[in-house]
Amino acid sequence: MFCSQCGANNADTAAVCVQCGRNLQVATATTPLQSTGVVLPPGATVQNYLVFAILATVFCCLPAGIPAIIYAAQVNSKLQAGDLAGAQAASNNAKMWCLISLGLGLGSIVLYGVLIMAGVLSGIHQH
Amino acid sequence: MQKVNENRVLVVLLAASAVTMVMLGAFDPATSGGFPPCPVRYLTGWYCPGCGSLRAMHQLLHGNLRAAWAMNPLTVVLLPFLTYGLASFALFEIRGRGLPQPLLRAVWIRALCAAIILFGIARNLSLYPFDLLAPGAMLHL
Repeated sequence: MFCSQCGANNADTAAVCVQCGRNLQVATATTPLQSTGVVLPPGATVQNYLVFAILATVFCCLPAGIPAIIYAAQVNSKLQAGDLAGAQAASNNAKMWCLISLGLGLGSIVLYGVLIMAGVLSGIHQH
Repeated sequence: MQKVNENRVLVVLLAASAVTMVMLGAFDPATSGGFPPCPVRYLTGWYCPGCGSLRAMHQLLHGNLRAAWAMNPLTVVLLPFLTYGLASFALFEIRGRGLPQPLLRAVWIRALCAAIILFGIARNLSLYPFDLLAPGAMLHL
């Protein structure tokens, strides 16, 4: 089947276009995937949060970004396999780990600020 | 409702990143103490894959590609992709359509993940040439 957005030739079982990621199943089927219970608007794709996962790994400096990247990979492998429900579940996990990473990163910044303040205050006290 | 909340988080994050970029341009994390240290480095003494990324960003903002590369080559390599991805995400939020993105094969994402982990391990080795990957080591070549 050919993608209605970019014209790339896809396998008939493909859930999304391999070229542009457009959701092919809703575009072709009149009833949106009731078997899996996942309803995507036409043209939508399942977000894998890969950019945020990498950002979290490189700039939050914490191992929590790694599971986010692994779930991002899982989103794409499930999409390739045509498993929209599985892709959506993996997408939610990827998002969760991005947020955990962000929370830990912000938490350590706040903790660092508190430690600095404590250091400054004890310094003042000693003088 | 969910969408609105997500957008708010994004706007706050973008504003925070913009402030951080300005701070990074003005102050060098290598010499000024205001930037928090990497928690992994602080707690374990090991370099993580992201160690030196802030110093690399500072050097990039000042046009020093070589110094940025020495601080964290991974950040320099990934930055164009991250910029494209973020621009696409922002455009998607604004006009409902992002930039064209091929669906990455899962095996490539897993390879990237492995590369990041291996990079993190390699830069902690005191064995040449891996020790050159430690933040700033290549500056002393």
